[in-house]
Amino acid sequence: MTTRPLSSSPGGPDTDAEELFRLYGRDRDERLRERLVAMHQNLVRFLAGKFANRGEPLEDLVQVGTIGLINAVDRYDADRGTKFSTYATPTIVGEIRRYFRDKAWSLKVPRRLQELNQVANKAVDVLSVKLGRAPTVAEIAQAIGASEEETLEAMELGNAYDTVSLDSRMSTETESAPMTLAEFVGGEDETLKALERYGDLSAAIESLDEREKVIITLRFFKDLSQAEVAKRLNISQMHVSRLQHRALNNLKKLMSS
Amino acid sequence: MPDEEPGTPVPPGGEDPGVVTLTIPCAPEYVGTARLTILGVASRMGFSYDQVEDIRLAVGEACTNAIDRVARGGNGSGPGSITIRSHVETGRLTIEVEDHTGNGAAADGDAQARPVEEIDPQELGALLMEILVDEVAVEPLPEGGTLVRLTKYTAEG
Repeated sequence: MTTRPLSSSPGGPDTDAEELFRLYGRDRDERLRERLVAMHQNLVRFLAGKFANRGEPLEDLVQVGTIGLINAVDRYDADRGTKFSTYATPTIVGEIRRYFRDKAWSLKVPRRLQELNQVANKAVDVLSVKLGRAPTVAEIAQAIGASEEETLEAMELGNAYDTVSLDSRMSTETESAPMTLAEFVGGEDETLKALERYGDLSAAIESLDEREKVIITLRFFKDLSQAEVAKRLNISQMHVSRLQHRALNNLKKLMSS
Repeated sequence: MPDEEPGTPVPPGGEDPGVVTLTIPCAPEYVGTARLTILGVASRMGFSYDQVEDIRLAVGEACTNAIDRVARGGNGSGPGSITIRSHVETGRLTIEVEDHTGNGAAADGDAQARPVEEIDPQELGALLMEILVDEVAVEPLPEGGTLVRLTKYTAEG
């Protein structure tokens, strides 16, 4: 409604977005939201890239970052005069950092370091619980019976040796978009693991809506990647990611009620 | 067995801060060296692993921004250097990242004339620093270049 002085991007690409944000703020139209999220995907990629050398697949970081983005899109008020990227960055980074807090890293680290790495990571978990805060390096070192120096080395070289990029493209014969290595690497899904504890999982899945049910089935029972699911359903991968997230949340809700 | 050697100097917690200074060429391939040094310094101070990683990322951003500025202001005066000074004090770590570009890297603030493509790495880098550490101060240097001062407190907060 109001024309207000543009923030720091004069006539820039944010102008369009701002209009959309206003519309979305008013109508809460699902499709607008999707578009806004898509428009700012590169912000998530950029930020996720900053954390990529901590040993987690970039795609995973992008996914958790996207959750932050979605939250930011929902809460952003274009009339406050803050640029969206400025508003969203803390939320996106917050999700990514949270993700690191509950994750151990792995893969492609020389064995000794990898082992030390894993031991250290376990110690981090155990100590975090015991201390009620993240442990210091000295505490980790003591717990695993290594010197601080060794502990640091394992942690540091663990990063440095993680050289096969999980984003390296793998060629497959049928392709529009080559898949990345990360998509081939199996991972444990913590959410799902937790859900396994319940016997009535399948009942809960049955009560999801049709599309969520399909996505959960393809992702976790047929082990398809998000990209594959996206292709099958003819929707974007991000959309799959979002639906999956929502479906898992619904499942959680169903299971805990 | 941590802290076995009596020789390891632990900052005494007095007035006298330990200072670790590192100067690197103003080039991306040396940012890792800075990160590694910061790892060594910060992890002796009782920061958690996550906090250490955050500090390192912030310092990396400060270096990268300096490198970007120099690359953009490039007037053939050579790549210059970046000095990273870590001040170890009781309860906090202050890291000064200073680029000596010799050509007055003016591009701080919003003076950029380069095409804005949705994402401004410099701006986001600055934002990241603010998220990752407790205090950020940026000052232009009289002789050209920029000083970025990052402070992180050991007590979570």
